[in-house]
Amino acid sequence: MTRTAAHVGLYDPRDEVPTLRGTRCEACGATFFPPLGIGCEVCGATADRLGAVPIAAAGVLHSLATVHLHPGNDISAPFAIGEIQLDDGPLIRATLIGLPDLDSIGRRVEAQWVVGRTDGDGNEVVEPRFAVVSDCGPVGGAS
Amino acid sequence: MTRTLRELRPVWMVGVGLHPYQKASETPYTALGVHAVRAALADAGLGWKQIESAYTGTATTAMGMSRLMYRHLGATGIPMAQVENASASGSTAFRQACIDVAAGLADVAIAVGVDKPLRFGMPQGPAGVRDLAGGRVLPFTHFALLANRYIHDHGATPEQLALVAVKNSRNGALNPNAQRRRARTLDEVLAPPQISGPLTRLQCCPVGEGAAAAIVAADDAIRRLRLDTSRAVRVLSSASRSETVYRGENFDAALTRETAKIALDDAGLKPADLDVVELHDAFTIEELLYIEAMGLAPVGHAAAELAEGQFDIGGRVAVSASGGLLSMGHPIGPTGVGQICEITSQLRGEAGPRQHAGAHTGLAHMVGVGAVCVVHVLQKAG
Repeated sequence: MTRTAAHVGLYDPRDEVPTLRGTRCEACGATFFPPLGIGCEVCGATADRLGAVPIAAAGVLHSLATVHLHPGNDISAPFAIGEIQLDDGPLIRATLIGLPDLDSIGRRVEAQWVVGRTDGDGNEVVEPRFAVVSDCGPVGGAS
Repeated sequence: MTRTLRELRPVWMVGVGLHPYQKASETPYTALGVHAVRAALADAGLGWKQIESAYTGTATTAMGMSRLMYRHLGATGIPMAQVENASASGSTAFRQACIDVAAGLADVAIAVGVDKPLRFGMPQGPAGVRDLAGGRVLPFTHFALLANRYIHDHGATPEQLALVAVKNSRNGALNPNAQRRRARTLDEVLAPPQISGPLTRLQCCPVGEGAAAAIVAADDAIRRLRLDTSRAVRVLSSASRSETVYRGENFDAALTRETAKIALDDAGLKPADLDVVELHDAFTIEELLYIEAMGLAPVGHAAAELAEGQFDIGGRVAVSASGGLLSMGHPIGPTGVGQICEITSQLRGEAGPRQHAGAHTGLAHMVGVGAVCVVHVLQKAG
């Protein structure tokens, strides 16, 4: 049985610890996640100046919301979405593990592999979801 | 050298017309739109033959829909086009009509917002853009994230958030063109179903169908066609901006802050000069964020000031007197034009039971997926 990615191109499901695949602009230094092709959103540099860069799937929880209504069948409500200020720059959104409360805003979060489903060939379809790191107090951003 | 709208030919609002916003029905969009156009023509004292250009704000109905609608008014061969700018489609159509008149390309132009909720195609798919949260972050969750961050930052309460919907439902109950026409209590707004984060159903706007029409004219046309100058309202400024890169901050408040500032600067006004404001309150949290971003309240204070009644009709500045997107509704294409109709009625003193006494200056604000932001400032003559 092998593992496959729920989001092709955003991470390598074989990695032991989830790491995101981002983009770094050689011309201006900006980093992006999700990855950006064609041209740089900050300075307009062309694709030949944009390179793949690993982005640590860790940061600070900027906000979160428990979703009670979801029209898709990829996950069942309620589930929690987090907005995460990654240590490596980008502010992203991702699914959280469990249903953390509002006091988690400002705490550190890290991604773990979660098996969302099994595909028709019996492969585990994995995605990184973020967990609040519990043994560490609030950090920057909390008031 | 570039010029602002105010430095070009004066642009006057001379006619407003609406088809009530309502749940999706069998009514063709052509009937919705023509109803609003005829109302606007009657309001202005004009005939369709006097309209020299037409812009149709639409995003969810069909390609190339203008001609099939306007032909019912008598085909005159005027230039016409659809303007799609997501939720700001109607606002952008209005901006184009104003530009035609200001530049002298037309003496009389019309912006018509019309839509039926049929197609909601988002660009990420064809752009090949994927992200971790994917289809799990619908608009209500985007705004639930902003709401919880606001609550975290400013100590606001879910009840204060819900009071936005209480106020706007009270206003919408007085508006015959509103989709939601019931005044709601705080308990009713807070009642399930819970949608996302602190947002309940009544804190999310209804998306239905409808139409709104706004006719703008130059001084030449007002004289030549003997229009009623006492009811004309000046369009002082038009600002339109798109998202840039905001590090560590969501685009919403930042984009509104810069666009509203341009619109007020171009009009030679300050936030305190505004009497009536229509803004993009698709979700309750937005009203608080945009009130602060426009400079109508210090950051973190909008929730408390709203609870005090400062943004009521009759308060310091009436916000969403129409009922806003939350109660009047958000049929997409019509919404931005409908805001211009409300502001114009308020500045004319013709808003009936919704009238904000002494309304002299107003601002209309929409944001759209993309993201884009469009703001207009209008003022009563004299």
